Amino acid sequence: MAFPLPRGITPPEISFLAEMEMVSILPRQRLEGLELLGGPIEPLLPPRRATLPLWLALLLKRQRRANILPPSWLHPESLSLILDIETQHGDSKGAFSPPPPLPNQPSAQEHYQKRPVAIPHYTPDGNRYFPSSPFLPQNVAVDQGPVGEAPRLPFHWLEVGTMLLEAASDDLVDPDQTRRLLKELREVRSSKMRSGVDVLDSAAVGGNVVSLTGVGAMEIGEGRGFISGVVDGLRRIGASKEQARREQMAGEMGSGGYGATQDDDDDDDMEF
Amino acid sequence: MSYYDVDSILTDSEKLPCTFELEVPGLGVLEGNPGENIKAGTQLDLPLWLGEMLSIGARLGTSRLVTLDIPSALSERVLNALKADPRTIDLRSLAPHFYSLSERVLELFEEEEMVDVLLNTFAKRAAEIADHAHNPKGAMGQGVDFLRGLDEMERQLFRVAHEGAKEVRVWAGEAKKRP
Amino acid sequence: MYGELGNKLVQHAKRTQSLAHLPPYQTELVRAVAREVRDLDRHVAHLLNSFSAEGFNPSADPATACALLVDHLSMRRNKRCLLAYHRVRTAKLEELCWTGVDVLEQQLPAEEGGDAPGPTSMSSAQAVGQHSSLSPEEEEYFRQYSDMLAAYKGQWTDVDLTGSLEPPRDLFIDVRVLKDAGEIQTEYGAINLTKNSQLYVRQGDVERLIAQGFLERLS
Repeated sequence: MAFPLPRGITPPEISFLAEMEMVSILPRQRLEGLELLGGPIEPLLPPRRATLPLWLALLLKRQRRANILPPSWLHPESLSLILDIETQHGDSKGAFSPPPPLPNQPSAQEHYQKRPVAIPHYTPDGNRYFPSSPFLPQNVAVDQGPVGEAPRLPFHWLEVGTMLLEAASDDLVDPDQTRRLLKELREVRSSKMRSGVDVLDSAAVGGNVVSLTGVGAMEIGEGRGFISGVVDGLRRIGASKEQARREQMAGEMGSGGYGATQDDDDDDDMEF
Repeated sequence: MSYYDVDSILTDSEKLPCTFELEVPGLGVLEGNPGENIKAGTQLDLPLWLGEMLSIGARLGTSRLVTLDIPSALSERVLNALKADPRTIDLRSLAPHFYSLSERVLELFEEEEMVDVLLNTFAKRAAEIADHAHNPKGAMGQGVDFLRGLDEMERQLFRVAHEGAKEVRVWAGEAKKRP
Repeated sequence: MYGELGNKLVQHAKRTQSLAHLPPYQTELVRAVAREVRDLDRHVAHLLNSFSAEGFNPSADPATACALLVDHLSMRRNKRCLLAYHRVRTAKLEELCWTGVDVLEQQLPAEEGGDAPGPTSMSSAQAVGQHSSLSPEEEEYFRQYSDMLAAYKGQWTDVDLTGSLEPPRDLFIDVRVLKDAGEIQTEYGAINLTKNSQLYVRQGDVERLIAQGFLERLS
């Protein structure tokens, strides 16, 4: 095959997409507004903060025209809190720390007042919609952290964190500690991904679902080949079993309706 | 499974024990005796591509040409060993395309227990493979033996897992791009 | 046993898939497999000859039917092996086309090494190096595929279809000139590429030159 890349998207591509994340900057120079394909950029007036796509923020940072204000999750304190959640959690062992809630799906147990909520946008036809990642402000800086709220890792945590450490480490609080924590988080979560094949086992044959909630973009990219390979292998080996199950189900459907059967199978099986 | 797929062609050449149900003149070539006849009751290991088609008559209940048996790679003894500890078995020495062969055998025979044993084996070994693939220094110690005993499907799995981890390390600047 | 040569061919194909280059074409093996198919075909014709008058009835003579089935399956198997072997190789050739490797030029490695090959080294090169790893048909395929790809690419002047697929981190990069490449035209004017000079240039302008080994990227 002439196409050289593996299936899915590669780390440089994921990283490229992460550069669309919006971040907060503190401009050091005035700059006129820009009309970009991705939307207009407001004029930069020095003491006033601005929100820009990461790629532009990094460019201005390299040219020393701006400082980047790190997002609140990229702070040693927040990161060690998240790391605690990842490593403890007795009851939901193997689960990932929860992702930031979506703006139109407020979390049930908590009410946030100070969280940066996505502003509803309007399509050219005037329909209201909420942007999804990467157009959610998951990486902008907030003045005071919402009270009592645990920090959450955004979808592009690894990419944004790594890029900011690389290009703007002087803007971060304790970059060395941050770097160490990011690395630790990555290792803890990566070993969780690997031990997750046990779940894949029942998921592939039983018609269940594997939850990847809270897993970041780069982590999904890293595991894509392996996970899909395992699921495909399980599907192939279990094909005859699945076939038998379907035939049995079809037989039950044919003779007297599905509801009449007193089988141990619960309704979940119907999903498949 | 595509017509041109090299792995599927090689799986097709894995052998199955077959018993001839009738005397066939001139087929001695299969036994290595060209010109001779094959007698009824002769037992031969034939590749899947031949044995499977010859056995179709038997399955349709018309005239039987040959009857098939389960290959030694999936014998009771092997399955018991896999039940005991899937990680210590050298699957490659049993059959280079162990799982693809099983897939085909399971199409021919109804073996519910075999499916469960194999599913469990695959999942347990996959977790082990992931751990080895993630180690940037490559396999060491007893891992070498384990990796040498991977079947073709598992090797593929090891390769993608290893590549995935490596690509991320290259992106993060922790590893060099391949030479 | 029928099909064993075909199997060997497919094992070659399997090995080829994980190699960066294209190993020599298995002329002998391909011929042997084709010969086996012809032999099988003759055998089938011979078996059927005796039935020419009344026609062959498989259920009346299951043993002959079985022999015919074995012959037929073996031919079909050999055909599949032959096709798969050649398909793996053509896929590799196409891949080399896209990455810009000229296989036909690479066939002459001896000329690169010694600048003035004497008559003795010439003969040894002919014995080892000059032997093409492509069959004549494959060479023709490569040539025509390259032409087709060039014609396809030529439709776009500002997009390089065979360029790098990696999204750039920066639009501009630092490069060092390894070989004199003369003057090139870019959107921002002409650049002169003299050996050992260092330049800050747009990545898109020089990607091709990096791939060809004229420039080296500095990190």
